[in-house]
Amino acid sequence: MSFFEPLPAPRPPSDYRVSAWARGPEGMVPGVVPVALLVARTSTHAVLIDGLLVYPTGFDFDLVVRRHPGQPRHHPDPRGWHELRLEVRFADGRSADNGPGRWPRPHRDKPPDPPWLYQSVSGPDGGHVWLWGLPPPGPLTFACRWPAEQIPPSQAELDAGLVLAAAARATSLWPDPGPS
Amino acid sequence: MSSSEPPELPEEPSEVEYRRPAWVEPPADVVPGIVPVELILARTPQRAIGLTGIRAYPTGFGCTLHLRLREDIPGEQSTFGAFNMFGEGVDPAGEFADWYLRFGVGFADGRKATNLDHKRDLDEIPAPDPPTLWLVRWEGYDRLAWEVNVWVWGLPPPGPLAFVVEWPARGIPESRVEIDAGLVLEAAARAVPIWPDPPGR
Amino acid sequence: MPAWEPPSGYRIPAWLRPPETMIPGIVPVELLVARTDTHAVLVSDLRAYPTGLEFAVVARPHPDQLHRPRHDPGRPRHPRYRDLWMELRFADGRTVSTDSRRWPRTFETTQPDPPFLYYHGAGGSERGWRSPHWLWGLPPPGPLAFVCRWPAGQQPASGVEIDARLVLEAADRATAVWPAERSPA
Repeated sequence: MSFFEPLPAPRPPSDYRVSAWARGPEGMVPGVVPVALLVARTSTHAVLIDGLLVYPTGFDFDLVVRRHPGQPRHHPDPRGWHELRLEVRFADGRSADNGPGRWPRPHRDKPPDPPWLYQSVSGPDGGHVWLWGLPPPGPLTFACRWPAEQIPPSQAELDAGLVLAAAARATSLWPDPGPS
Repeated sequence: MSSSEPPELPEEPSEVEYRRPAWVEPPADVVPGIVPVELILARTPQRAIGLTGIRAYPTGFGCTLHLRLREDIPGEQSTFGAFNMFGEGVDPAGEFADWYLRFGVGFADGRKATNLDHKRDLDEIPAPDPPTLWLVRWEGYDRLAWEVNVWVWGLPPPGPLAFVVEWPARGIPESRVEIDAGLVLEAAARAVPIWPDPPGR
Repeated sequence: MPAWEPPSGYRIPAWLRPPETMIPGIVPVELLVARTDTHAVLVSDLRAYPTGLEFAVVARPHPDQLHRPRHDPGRPRHPRYRDLWMELRFADGRTVSTDSRRWPRTFETTQPDPPFLYYHGAGGSERGWRSPHWLWGLPPPGPLAFVCRWPAGQQPASGVEIDARLVLEAADRATAVWPAERSPA
């Protein structure tokens, strides 16, 4: 018998589901925070946070890169968008960032400690981010730096109360138990 | 999961901090003794698996698997099937997948723990029998080089301590390297608490 | 066997990371660099390669800290681990630091002269915080000090010294799993 036998019993293939902490709950309509936050601006580039959609479990947002309209759009530097670093910081000191892969992978049965940041889309124009966990009251800081495009460490704050109020406005799509 | 199920809330910190079971991660308030082993468990033209750096504690030991890939294989599972975190480990034929990296430790008294063992709830009572093997951390700078940090709860008895890997889809048959468990036990005796006074309760 | 070719697409520059075709040599220490009644900072997972040294800076609270209610006003404020930076002091008097103000401005695109100390972000929660570090270039023989500092004197600087021979001997034990590429780009 091999060292690794008995192998686990085969299970019927299931639909692939993203873990519940890696995205907003599918059965809810989020509350919206109607703010576009300017995190960094140089003569050629700006980085914005907008599209904040908040659930009781966390919030989605877009990380948006804009280029000065007068700038010629050069051939995308393959180094460029990988190095746009984003960090989100809560008022109590906890933080999460989109560092280059060296973050702990949560075990599938146990959510990570909040906050936990998951950037599902990355590209030359920024991307889409989900943050697991809601901030405590106080400043909610978005910090970025992008050396490849000469954006120094920059940050902007949002009042976490706006996020918490939006979380309270989130509603269930199907309040009654539906088909199982 | 039906879409009407209430959303799962993030864990709120409670008055009493949730204590992770001892078999999930090494004790946080102990400086381990280090055994400087550097082993190549398997090597093919495409894949290499190293194991280094045993960190020994009174209750168990950690070690690091190094996965080295010579090239990306288009279409390969993004996790390389290694310690399959989000998938089911099942290939389209419904069999346990060949692309799933198998790793385990074997003690001289016949006990063993592998990454295929029954996945446990962290709240499981009673605690499982040692040894158990648990993934602590999995890191990589890019897709070609990965470090997998593993915790083995339970110290081995004296005698050979085996590290075993198998990766059928990557041409790695069951492969085994043994060290003297005495190295781990001596290192465990060198572990020291970080704070000399026991924490208050 | 053809020489190893790196994949296309963005790669972290070779001077900011360990060599990707090698298994490291392990430096047989774990260092308690700072300790107060409430927190500790360790340097752990020291892995040496011919080109440099990888290690993790780990900050942890005393277990008692985790038992206090979050909003207890008596709960001591913990140092902001994120503000901590590391400094390494070599036997020849040189120092390197993760204070990014001391980094050459072009470090991400132009290979700096060794030694250079880099870190790949950090993560964690109040239960523990971990930051992977990479020292580009090996230290000279003699004492090697790991010092952690907080800005604005939040905590006094604190450090531990080891014999760099432990690092150099570990670097000699690093092994290549495949032949290295013919020549650096």
